[in-house]
Amino acid sequence: MKKRGIGVGLSFYGTGYGNGFPDISRAIVRLLPGGRIGIYCGVTEVGQGAKTAMIQIGAETLGVTEKDIDLIHEDTSLMPDSGTAAATRQTYNTGNAIKVACQNMREKLFEKAKVELGLNSTAGLALEKGEVVLSFFPQKRISFKRLSEIYKDETIEAEGEFVAQTTTMDPDTGQGAPYWPYTFNACAVEVEVDMNTGIVNLLRAVFAQDAGRAVNPHLLEGQMDGGFAMALGYTLFEDLKLENGVIKNNRFSKYLIPTAMDMIDVENIIIEDPENTAPYGAKGIGEPVMIPIAPAILNAIYNAIGIRITELPVTPEKLMKAIREAEVNN
Amino acid sequence: MDIKKVYNSKSVEEVIDLLGEYGKKAKVIAGGTDIVIALNKNVIEPEILIDISKIEELKGIREEDEYITIGSTTTFAEVVESQIFENNLYGLHKACKMVGSPQIRNKGTIGGNIANGSPAADSVPPLMALDSIVTLKSIDGIREISLEDYYLNPIKEKELLINIRFKRPKDNQILTFAKLGLRKALAISRLTLSSYIEFEDKTIDSIRVASGALAKFPMREKEVEDYLLGKSLEEKTIEGAIEVLRNSMDERLKGRSTLPYKRVAISTILREILEEALAIEEGVKAW
Repeated sequence: MKKRGIGVGLSFYGTGYGNGFPDISRAIVRLLPGGRIGIYCGVTEVGQGAKTAMIQIGAETLGVTEKDIDLIHEDTSLMPDSGTAAATRQTYNTGNAIKVACQNMREKLFEKAKVELGLNSTAGLALEKGEVVLSFFPQKRISFKRLSEIYKDETIEAEGEFVAQTTTMDPDTGQGAPYWPYTFNACAVEVEVDMNTGIVNLLRAVFAQDAGRAVNPHLLEGQMDGGFAMALGYTLFEDLKLENGVIKNNRFSKYLIPTAMDMIDVENIIIEDPENTAPYGAKGIGEPVMIPIAPAILNAIYNAIGIRITELPVTPEKLMKAIREAEVNN
Repeated sequence: MDIKKVYNSKSVEEVIDLLGEYGKKAKVIAGGTDIVIALNKNVIEPEILIDISKIEELKGIREEDEYITIGSTTTFAEVVESQIFENNLYGLHKACKMVGSPQIRNKGTIGGNIANGSPAADSVPPLMALDSIVTLKSIDGIREISLEDYYLNPIKEKELLINIRFKRPKDNQILTFAKLGLRKALAISRLTLSSYIEFEDKTIDSIRVASGALAKFPMREKEVEDYLLGKSLEEKTIEGAIEVLRNSMDERLKGRSTLPYKRVAISTILREILEEALAIEEGVKAW
């Protein structure tokens, strides 16, 4: 016999180190030969898409395409520190540092353009497709490439820094506001529980994730699918079987993770409610995408069979045991 | 691992000569999906490796007279793609389709599944339910043995598994299969069952049921067969069959930690093969 149920899980997640801990990202932007833009920044790509999103933020601020930017990262001898790729902090914190550095770079480029175009001031200058342009008289323009040729013996660069604002909790009461900003999400799943095998089969999933602003919607959906799959494994399959700190289940033949066949098509919904202190409103979603999935699945199991599961993973054997115990108690 | 020589064999004769010469120092490799792991873990340490994957006469599925013969190096993928295993032979198609992953099905072979001797070999219960005969060859000659008896008298070090054959079923003889794995792909079977049922109207005129992962090796479930023989497949019969199989399991797996779970889960798997047989008999395509 199979029983179906629906469950919802919600979460809100404070991004960044939080609790008053120093949380600083830095970036340097440099005009490179050929008019290319180099962004030197210690942002680490761990598969989350930092390489893409950081370039997009820089391109947006400097009025160039992503192809015009070289991101130089992950080599600490070449760039300033931008903190860890952790705490769901790179989009918000390092994105802000890159935006600030690019805004400073705009001013540097305006200064050089003012000289080369023989202008009185930088007022009315704008960046447009790799050129500095005087907005009310667009014949007055000079390309980044030309500037890089004129100033080839001089480095045109600007720095940017973003220091996140967080406050310390009261150590006695635990009260306070340790994180800022938060991201929010909600997930609903429908499951089918086989009452004879204890196998939980996912039928449908809808997942809504607040991102402030989606810098790259495809990457964001990738993160949401990935977070869902990881959480699915942790909810239903993955069991280290720790004994006195030793991992007993140490082979992938027994330590099961979901395969593509176990994953379902998740209907992802991106919620955009721009955060006004964030780069173009964008907040991180890296960790939170995993959080509401297990509660949603456990609630759906409860909705299906009336049994609360309080220990993960919900393996078929464990679920059958719980079902038998519930039968005995009734 | 200390392999001194690998033979890339072109004929069965060459292989059995080599096996005759080297005996237990040699190991035969076809798809390698089991043996490569065993080599890496030093579970086996042969000096000679004999690759049989390029020998034409061991490959493919042939229909001859009343028999269907599957060459030992036929891959699971080849069985899945073959139209022979549609409709009333669907059980073997389904079993082979549930083996591992596409990569494993492309490399792993039917002969390897038998010779490796795993109790959880997915293709074996349906082949056993078909009352298949295994042909083995060595310098001493040809040995034919039913798959059911094979596990009591398995492949010897000088033998090469040539093929496996079974009688082509009639339209009213239906093969089904079901598997309990803990995920939807790359799952080692926790339980498998296969049934071969000959229907006369709705009555079971003859039946063979084979199980996997319920003993040291795949085996026939004769108590269930006896129970179901002559009955018509209805809810009451299915419930009764589940009880009979549970009793057999209780005896066989007494004291095993996996028993409490398996004896409950078996109901879903047994019900699936019986209901599927009925559906195919009634002309509902299973795929």
